Amino acid sequence: MTEFELIQGLRNGDETAFRFLVDTYQDRVFNTAMGIVQNAEDAEDVAQEVFIQVFRSIQQFKAESKLSTWIYRITTTRALDLLRSRKSKKRFGFIQRLLGDNNEPAQEIPDFNHPGIQLDRKEKAARLFKVIGQLPENQKIAFTLHKLEDLSYQEVSEVMQTTVAAVESLMHRARQNLRKLLEKEPD
Amino acid sequence: MNTEKENRIDEILNSLEGCTRAAAPAFFYTRLKARMEKETTGTHSWMLRPAFTLAGLLLILVVNVFVLYNRSTAFKENTAGVETESIQSLAAEYRLNDNSNQYDLNQVK
Repeated sequence: MTEFELIQGLRNGDETAFRFLVDTYQDRVFNTAMGIVQNAEDAEDVAQEVFIQVFRSIQQFKAESKLSTWIYRITTTRALDLLRSRKSKKRFGFIQRLLGDNNEPAQEIPDFNHPGIQLDRKEKAARLFKVIGQLPENQKIAFTLHKLEDLSYQEVSEVMQTTVAAVESLMHRARQNLRKLLEKEPD
Repeated sequence: MNTEKENRIDEILNSLEGCTRAAAPAFFYTRLKARMEKETTGTHSWMLRPAFTLAGLLLILVVNVFVLYNRSTAFKENTAGVETESIQSLAAEYRLNDNSNQYDLNQVK
């Protein structure tokens, strides 16, 4: 099925086309979401939301960019939304604890282990993911798309709707920030 | 910073090299379809969210207060009119406001 046929099929509400879309993109969407939210359950939730949004808003897709670019854009937006809601919940929980409404201690988030990392690098990758989580949003997106999804700077720039030079700068700053954060960490 | 630490940081930064893509969990499509069907059938579930429930209750309360206030004001106005009328009719009945009745005390004798 070509991309044009796929888009036409989706616009006509064809279930075979939708199945083909999910089969083709589910791993890319899941992997990207996983890199950003750093939790398998949340990543699956985000991936489901992405496909629901694609299905519902395919009529608005103008095909000015590739379908994959559009799907990556929806994925990063949805994943960031989840991180923001997680942050606000955390803040609310903190206020609740301050007010004495909830005396349970805050749960420590365990280290994230990406399933695609080689076994001998798992420990180092877990430390890296921990500091990636502290990066500003746009640096986090650029780094994840380039390093985890193996997208070129050109492709990342299309997803982020920016220039290649801007992506290069984001990647440079991301590496600098990661280095600084790792220096502060105890050995 | 010593070179040993610097090398260690470089190793951490390069730990994603050669990483393979994480696969979506099994039966992802089945779960996705189930969620889509659930969302299309339960379109009114948002109405049960606490924010909407509270807003609804608040609206009912405001409408009630408004109606009660209006009714009590109208009642006061109406009763005020009735009172004046009844006093006037009572006065008329007993000719309390009639000044034509003059009694000549000398005639009683």
